[in-house]
Amino acid sequence: MNHDPVDLLLQLAFLEGEITTHGLYERLAAEREMLDHSSDTAKLALLQRLEAALARTPAKDLSPLTIGVYLCQMREERSLRPQEVSSRIGIPSNIYKMMEHDRISPLKISVDAWRRLRQLFQIPKDALEAMIRRTHQLVYFQASFRTTLARYDARKKRELKAATLKKATEELFARAVLSLPPREQQKLNLLLKALAEDSEGL
Amino acid sequence: MARASNQQIVRELKEGDQRGCRHLIDAYQGRLLGEAVHVFQVPFLDAEELVSDALLTVVNKIETFQFKRSDGDFHYWVMTIFRNRVRDFMRHRALTDGLLERFDEAALEDDESYSSTEREVVRTVIHRYEDSLRSPESETEHVGAGKSGKLQIVVEALERLETWERVLLRCRALEIPYEEIAHYTGKTAKQLKVYHTRVKRKFLKLLAERVPEAPRV
Repeated sequence: MNHDPVDLLLQLAFLEGEITTHGLYERLAAEREMLDHSSDTAKLALLQRLEAALARTPAKDLSPLTIGVYLCQMREERSLRPQEVSSRIGIPSNIYKMMEHDRISPLKISVDAWRRLRQLFQIPKDALEAMIRRTHQLVYFQASFRTTLARYDARKKRELKAATLKKATEELFARAVLSLPPREQQKLNLLLKALAEDSEGL
Repeated sequence: MARASNQQIVRELKEGDQRGCRHLIDAYQGRLLGEAVHVFQVPFLDAEELVSDALLTVVNKIETFQFKRSDGDFHYWVMTIFRNRVRDFMRHRALTDGLLERFDEAALEDDESYSSTEREVVRTVIHRYEDSLRSPESETEHVGAGKSGKLQIVVEALERLETWERVLLRCRALEIPYEEIAHYTGKTAKQLKVYHTRVKRKFLKLLAERVPEAPRV
């Protein structure tokens, strides 16, 4: 136990934001032993308190981003040009543009390019996996949405039809649970497995 | 049972999934309690309340949180909220019981306790801090306000030390192991252990020079 008066002063300075350990304290706190002496009653009371607070918080739509949306956001945030990103991840710029518009399946992009992209934007593994899954579903089903909807709305004007198709695709994508055929799912799993193995080696 | 990842906790809380609350408690309650009790000497019952408040803030503010770099981002965010709650607790104690009330007794029993003169320097600085909290200007003062901060005098004394001495004092105050500090100072853990008390006395001497009303060390 620390009862030192100098340490008390320094702790106050740390708590008041006057001095810092540059994240070292926070990092080591994650590795330290836990103190698990709270009674079950206290834990239950805390759980109820948190659940009540959560129930008051409106839930947000958490559909994972697609690769395209994510890339556009990150590029804008870091003020990068498409060519800069494409050259850094080692793919042709036209392919990169297709990625930004979610017009190409993630299966067409090499594992190496995904690895470089993950490193470039420091994307957590789970987040990248969710985005790849979502984007592949979108790209895979986009064609059938379009065909079906085009037939349905064939009599309308071309501009209006395009806008309707875009809106319908987005809505379907946001709402639907899209199960891929086994063969597509297998291909996607292979890519994700290769990426996961790669991330373990990092 | 495997503990939920930070990604999972955040996703569940953002989706309004109540399992997120259970996972948050499993992952952080014990950890924060340990920090509050062992590092900041907060009495256990107060620590339980403080940690509850911190986790409640996490749930209430979860919509504002975003992962930028890695899974660890959430841990750092929770630790920042926790640190602010501990700061509020310390401020409250400073304004009610006084920070040294419970503290002196334990320190007196300590074999390595300081001379009465050195203790007086610390007492003076802490009383100044308590007074600054009572003054109306402190209402508008920002945390980490740099040169105008409440404990600027501590920062100034630290700046007069050598870099490794500064790192040693700052890190040991937060119970960071000597072995870890050794990586950043170029000294061995054994050397740091030996020097620690000496560096503290040097720091108190520098502090005393900045507190005219305190006796000379």
